[in-house]
Amino acid sequence: MSETQLSLPISVRGITKSYGRFKALDDVSLEVASGEFITLLGPSGSGKTTLLMVLAGFSRPDCGSVRFGDEEVIRMPPHKRGVGMVFQNYALFPHMNVFNNVAYPLKLRGVGSADIAQRVERALNLVQLGAFMERRVDQLSGGQRQRVALARAIVFEPRILLMDEPLSALDKKLREQMQIEIKHLHEQLGMTTVYVTHDQREALTMSDRVAVINDGRFMQLDAPKQLYERPRSQFVADFIGESSFLPVEVERNEARLNGTPLRLAEQPSAGGHQLLVVRPEKLEVLTNGSGGDLNCLTGTVKELVYQGESFLFYVSLDGGAEIAVRSPSRREALAVVPERGQPIRLGLHPEDTILVPAQS
Amino acid sequence: MTAIPRETPVPVSAGTNADGLAEDARRERWQMFGLCSPALLLVGLVVFIPVGWLFWLSFFDAQGALTFENYERMWGSRSYIRTFQTTFEISFIVTGACVLMGYPLAYMLSQLPQRAAGICMIFVILPFWTSLLVRTYAWLVLLQRQGLINTWMIDLGIIDEPLRLVHNFTGTVIGMVHILLPFLVLPLFAAMKSIDRDYLKAASNLGASPTRAFWQVFFPLSLPGLFAGVVLVFVLCLGFYVTPALLGGGKTIMWAMRIETSVNLYANWGAASALGVVLLIVTLGLLYVLNKAFRLDKIMAGPR
Amino acid sequence: MGIRDSFGWALGAAAAGAIAVASPALAEDSVTFASWGGSLQEAQRKALMNPAEEALGITIREDTTNGIADVRAQVLANAVKWDITEQGSNTCVILKSEGRIEPLDYSVIDTTGVNPAVVDSHWIGVLYYSTVIGWNTDKFGDDGPQTWADFWDVEKFPGARAMYAKPYYNLEAALMADGVPMDQVYDVLSTDEGLDRAFAKLEEIKPHVAVWWRSGAQSAQLIKDGEVDMISIWNGRISSAIDDGASAALTFNQGVMDFDCLVVPKGAPNKQLAMKVINEFLKADNQANLPQYITYGPTNEAAFDTGKISPEVADAVNSSPQNAKNQLVLKSDFYIGKIDELQERFDEMIQE
Repeated sequence: MSETQLSLPISVRGITKSYGRFKALDDVSLEVASGEFITLLGPSGSGKTTLLMVLAGFSRPDCGSVRFGDEEVIRMPPHKRGVGMVFQNYALFPHMNVFNNVAYPLKLRGVGSADIAQRVERALNLVQLGAFMERRVDQLSGGQRQRVALARAIVFEPRILLMDEPLSALDKKLREQMQIEIKHLHEQLGMTTVYVTHDQREALTMSDRVAVINDGRFMQLDAPKQLYERPRSQFVADFIGESSFLPVEVERNEARLNGTPLRLAEQPSAGGHQLLVVRPEKLEVLTNGSGGDLNCLTGTVKELVYQGESFLFYVSLDGGAEIAVRSPSRREALAVVPERGQPIRLGLHPEDTILVPAQS
Repeated sequence: MTAIPRETPVPVSAGTNADGLAEDARRERWQMFGLCSPALLLVGLVVFIPVGWLFWLSFFDAQGALTFENYERMWGSRSYIRTFQTTFEISFIVTGACVLMGYPLAYMLSQLPQRAAGICMIFVILPFWTSLLVRTYAWLVLLQRQGLINTWMIDLGIIDEPLRLVHNFTGTVIGMVHILLPFLVLPLFAAMKSIDRDYLKAASNLGASPTRAFWQVFFPLSLPGLFAGVVLVFVLCLGFYVTPALLGGGKTIMWAMRIETSVNLYANWGAASALGVVLLIVTLGLLYVLNKAFRLDKIMAGPR
Repeated sequence: MGIRDSFGWALGAAAAGAIAVASPALAEDSVTFASWGGSLQEAQRKALMNPAEEALGITIREDTTNGIADVRAQVLANAVKWDITEQGSNTCVILKSEGRIEPLDYSVIDTTGVNPAVVDSHWIGVLYYSTVIGWNTDKFGDDGPQTWADFWDVEKFPGARAMYAKPYYNLEAALMADGVPMDQVYDVLSTDEGLDRAFAKLEEIKPHVAVWWRSGAQSAQLIKDGEVDMISIWNGRISSAIDDGASAALTFNQGVMDFDCLVVPKGAPNKQLAMKVINEFLKADNQANLPQYITYGPTNEAAFDTGKISPEVADAVNSSPQNAKNQLVLKSDFYIGKIDELQERFDEMIQE
């Protein structure tokens, strides 16, 4: 694997794929920059895997265009697309050992056997499985199979790498470890990567940009921080992280919660009914007199849960709504945690005061 | 540990209850074995005892004296050797034809949607509902000189003289292939169904054309099913009786027909028993060799 | 017909075994008779069994046999359930030599009128059957092959032939085709040169034999379906086929006549009564009934004097004087002791 591996931008335009009356993809467009790591995130049935299959050539859309670099590939059969892919269940050939699995794409490309041996070894070393070349697939653990699948997908130096929920079968600890490894691998090799997952934390951890997809449509395409801090719809705010929603009225660039005006960092985009996104960890418990420059919410503590690294408590607001509040279990924060049934004041920084359109 | 337990537990040493637990494990194994015993007994009764008796009988002549004449008879006779050759020749050809016809059929079935595959499967299995004899006679009706196929072909002007399709080697092979085809298709279909389609997608993604993906990935993965079917068909072929007897025209004599002749020809069962023993030993020997050659046990176990 | 219908022996043997286990000794006033089933046994039911039941006031239970293996199986297993069974002449001789049948009680069985050639201490002939030349009348009209020489003449009578898949009748036919006079057939056949000559002659016709048939049913089907143009076949089978509408004819000329006999398996449950039944079966009056239903001939020659057999019926019956004189009588003794060798040599010849 050369240091300067080629990578290609991907341009998806107007892809629609329907199964009968059900639209798995509805006029989807996406531009992926060369070398970018992009994640398609969505609930099951959202169309994220379908889009990946369209990129790989396994699913034939009704219409649209897919370009790898300058080349239109929409009608190109999968075996000519030259993209690497890691399958959800790894799809390692059970009748071949580790070496032959990884060597397979090279053999297909007519690479000389000495060269194959060298490249396979390099790819396996890259995923720390250099010592496992002669193993049968059924002698490997889940994590090892994952690495072999990864090695097989990159050994032929594809300019585009597709991954279909590659970590979903692993336990939490291994999954987190692999996330970092894949990220490093991507940094090292630099190929354009499209990654599919339904795990929002995984998406935020690994990606340059995340495309949130639902009902066959992109809801938002942004960098992880932007996506979390500035969700543009109730769906995204709800799907990524925890959120409570409070109804807000917007009139003449002023937003009011239960009649009280809110301090906003940005001008609201539209008038009428909107929703205030309240993330539990963004709320601060206010002591008497503090929080003059914050938006202030008052209510009563209903429930208190100790969760180790934080306290979670549910507050019944004076307006009638109920929200969750997370407070870190740091010593100074512990001091201000009220008891059940006590009134409480909560502060929300204007930067964290985010409005999204109410869903119709 | 600062907390003091309210009750002091009974102190336990390393080997506590070890004997009792081992005893439980042993008893459980025997109980499991006990559950199998009716099946084992049945197999013993209906397989091993008769086969053993067959073996025993084959060493005695009509007067009940110990003899090898039942076996010696076979080595000397060109007719027996010819029968032996014919039996294997037919078995190889029928098995080969079943593979050539059954593999594409099973492949097609495995690729069809569930419902369509189910319906097609019924057509594959349907012949099992008809008696072997009826199916064999049906072939006679189709293949004979004034049968349907010859009549049609003459009427259509394809041929002038009727073809000799039955009462010979050809007829025997046709009839046997038809009867044995499902025995190949069923295990093969099951094996093909269990092949994850992602393997083919993976192969294709890695750069394999559909043809190469088929031969390098699908075909090797279907081999366990194919071997199971081949062994089943081949072994069934070796002992076939009705079809060659009816469609072979008397000229195609297979081993089982020779056994029938022997039962009628000789005063004791020894002659026929010896033939049965030879067939059994050759079949087992063949399985052993195939097993060594192809590591059938590994293949049969299938991918894990 | 012990040597005739061996096809399906396994089924028969299995059935015999099952019945032997299942049925207890039958009551004294009944006997079990096993014949060859099909149209023959139906004819025997009307011609022989009904009159015998009436005369003796007993019940005759029926079973069917597939040949020698059945009798051997029952006697070997010490589970004999047949009191009387009908077997081919060769089988009877073999069964006697193997000690598997009871001697017949000729104080009970009256042999008056029965051809002495079919009477033995352990068996007695009950009917004659012939292996005859039959042909397809669509192909040859009435002018089919009349002799074995014709049957062998592929220029004069082109077409597919079928013959029995065993040496019986075929060796005799081959010698007759080769010009051996009928009365010298067994003299020639008894020498090694004669046997070689018969086999050589069979080799000659072999390429034209489309089917070597193995069962009576099969032979009838071959001629009925027009699968072959000429055939050596049992006269009863081809007569039945013709009655069923087959375009076929036969000649008794140079036919090979053989007989079936009745035997009592060793250890039969109702031996005494069996003797009485055999006696009834052989009475000229009952024997005369048989040709009314099937073209197999009575062994009691007095049957032809009873007036029951019309001249037309006699013409069709193989053993009537006018037909018998043109036929060779099969000599069972010739085959005893060497049938296994002959069969092997024969099999080797016919195998593809």
